[in-house]
Amino acid sequence: MPLLKPTPAADAEQAIARHPLAGTAMSGADVVVQVLADEGVEVLFGYSGGAILPVYDAVFRHNAEHLKADGSEPMPLVVPANEQGAGFMASGYARASGKVGVAIVTSGPGATNMVTPVRDSAADSIPLVVICGQVSTQAIGSDAFQEAPVSNIMSSCAKHVFLVTAADKLEATLRTAFTIARSGRPGPVVVDIPKDVQNATVVFDGQEELPLPGYRARLRSIEQATLSDAECAAFFQALADAKRPLIYAGGGVVGSGSASLLREFVAAFGLPVTTTLMGIGGFDTTHPLSLHMLGMHGTAYANYAVEDCDFLFALGARFDDRVACSPPQFAPRAKYIAHIDIDPAEINKVKQADWQHVGPLDRALQRLIQYGKAHGHQPVLADWHAHVAALKRNHSMNYDRDSALIQPYAVLEEINRHTQGRAIFSTGVGQHQMWAAQYLDFVEPRHWLTSGSMGTMGFGLPAAVGAQFARRDALVIDIDGDASIRMNLGELETVTTYGLPVKIVVMNNVGDGMVRQWQKLFFKGRFASSDKSLHRKDFVRAAEADGFAWARRLENREELASTIAEFLAFDGPSFLEVMIDPDAGVYPMVGPGASYSQMITGEFIPSRAVAKTGEAVASDAF
Amino acid sequence: MQHTLSILLQNEAGALVRVAGLFAARGHNIDTLTVAPTADPAVSHLLLTVRGDNAVLAQILQQTRKLVDVLQVQHATHA
Repeated sequence: MPLLKPTPAADAEQAIARHPLAGTAMSGADVVVQVLADEGVEVLFGYSGGAILPVYDAVFRHNAEHLKADGSEPMPLVVPANEQGAGFMASGYARASGKVGVAIVTSGPGATNMVTPVRDSAADSIPLVVICGQVSTQAIGSDAFQEAPVSNIMSSCAKHVFLVTAADKLEATLRTAFTIARSGRPGPVVVDIPKDVQNATVVFDGQEELPLPGYRARLRSIEQATLSDAECAAFFQALADAKRPLIYAGGGVVGSGSASLLREFVAAFGLPVTTTLMGIGGFDTTHPLSLHMLGMHGTAYANYAVEDCDFLFALGARFDDRVACSPPQFAPRAKYIAHIDIDPAEINKVKQADWQHVGPLDRALQRLIQYGKAHGHQPVLADWHAHVAALKRNHSMNYDRDSALIQPYAVLEEINRHTQGRAIFSTGVGQHQMWAAQYLDFVEPRHWLTSGSMGTMGFGLPAAVGAQFARRDALVIDIDGDASIRMNLGELETVTTYGLPVKIVVMNNVGDGMVRQWQKLFFKGRFASSDKSLHRKDFVRAAEADGFAWARRLENREELASTIAEFLAFDGPSFLEVMIDPDAGVYPMVGPGASYSQMITGEFIPSRAVAKTGEAVASDAF
Repeated sequence: MQHTLSILLQNEAGALVRVAGLFAARGHNIDTLTVAPTADPAVSHLLLTVRGDNAVLAQILQQTRKLVDVLQVQHATHA
């Protein structure tokens, strides 16, 4: 950022450094690009159209005039097949980098195609700024060509929406959009800019933001919240009284950059950790105290540990229905629930907390570590550690290792052998997503990119593209399903167009596997519209048609290891379709609305309770 | 139980829609709603009534406080 923060050494008379372009007259479109540059935006994702053309032209000119020493553009604009792809690319970029992802689309259909990624990002607390062209202010409300009420539509699903009606507010609005997107609980902010505002001439200020007195006051009080000595003492007293304390870590650990502090906390006090789907990577899955994921498809040992714990410490997690499937029966033996979150609305929303703190997680953990160490708190947890180790040993993930059919779990285990928790993985949504969550290891945060709350099929491929732009040298692998990848299959072309070395694995079980799993359980095996055996898609030829030089179908389990080695070693984009056992299920499974004690572990994972037999009944739980 | 909420709102494009939309999206029926200007032309005063128990009220108050345009939310009365 060229905006220099004043330091004590700086000229006392000039409290704030002036932007070099302050006072310059420029078009609204140029203001947009300048603010993006000032915010440190290094890549844009978007699709052009009539109402956004002035901004696209300004991006083009900016890139042409500011070529980097190596001849590359400072702010390349990556063009997807569909605006939804751009939104998920921005999301993948944001998830992998921790920076704000930026997408720029045109009015009407361009903006409405962006609704799904915006809602997806809001639900997973991912910071995005989405800039939409809009018809000119005088045409708004006239049913103009490519007009849609974007402010109304996005208001229901974004963190915030701005409709810029005055050109002199454009600069402050766009800068403020970044502030809102990344502050507090992060989320997507939409800025709807009429074409006449893009064309208007305004004087650039260089630092202006909107005052937002309400938002900023609330944000300040949350960001400045600190844990008092009394609060720390209460926490450690409850921890001392506990024999089986457990950490339940959510996406907030990743989002707030607190993974290393969580590791430090565990090193200091010895609490085992289970993470949510969004929290994967927030704690090294290869750590002896890691229990991997909990919840509907969590590991049996994590779910049993939740059943057994007497103290639950929720960090940046929100007890959602895939975790607390039945809230009253969730963690039934926990006498004490402690909860830290950045969003006050998440405290006591589902589960009543005995101890709570609303504030930045990194600072709260730091303070607890410091206080606990200073006061000599050293929980004695040898019995609990032994219990947890036994749970991991006795109820480990397993599957039919003798099947003649390729088991999806085996595919992931083989990939994991190569990646060792160091690759970036994106996924679609469904069975393959849960298998990937269960069988892959993650040593660091921001390597696991998945549509958690919204569960948007089609997320994986564009998210992988965005992640590769965030981490040019990283190995980025999209683990996808045949049905999920179809949703955004057009983005195969984006991978090759930009020469990205993304690896794509399609686990093909010829249909909507998770839907079939539920139909088997709850609808007597009537596979309404979830069987795709009559579909004639040849995925390998589709990939080849889009320029993949390495595209193969794996059908024999004997070739699994050699094919995966070759697939991952290929220098450039590669595409692997694996014909997996179509009947492979996701286990363990806690039925919707059920308690963890009713968990079904399947044929290959030992359960510690005799599961009740008899057919499950369809319910309103989802 | 019926609750009256008093909300101070910045006069921005779509601000009222965002308040009404939040209540609708979270399954609350707004029984009554009045919007009035304040001494500050940039700020409107909303009075609205909704029904629900205390937990429901606490949650919708917190959610309303997350709206960027909202300056202040108070639980005015309950009957």
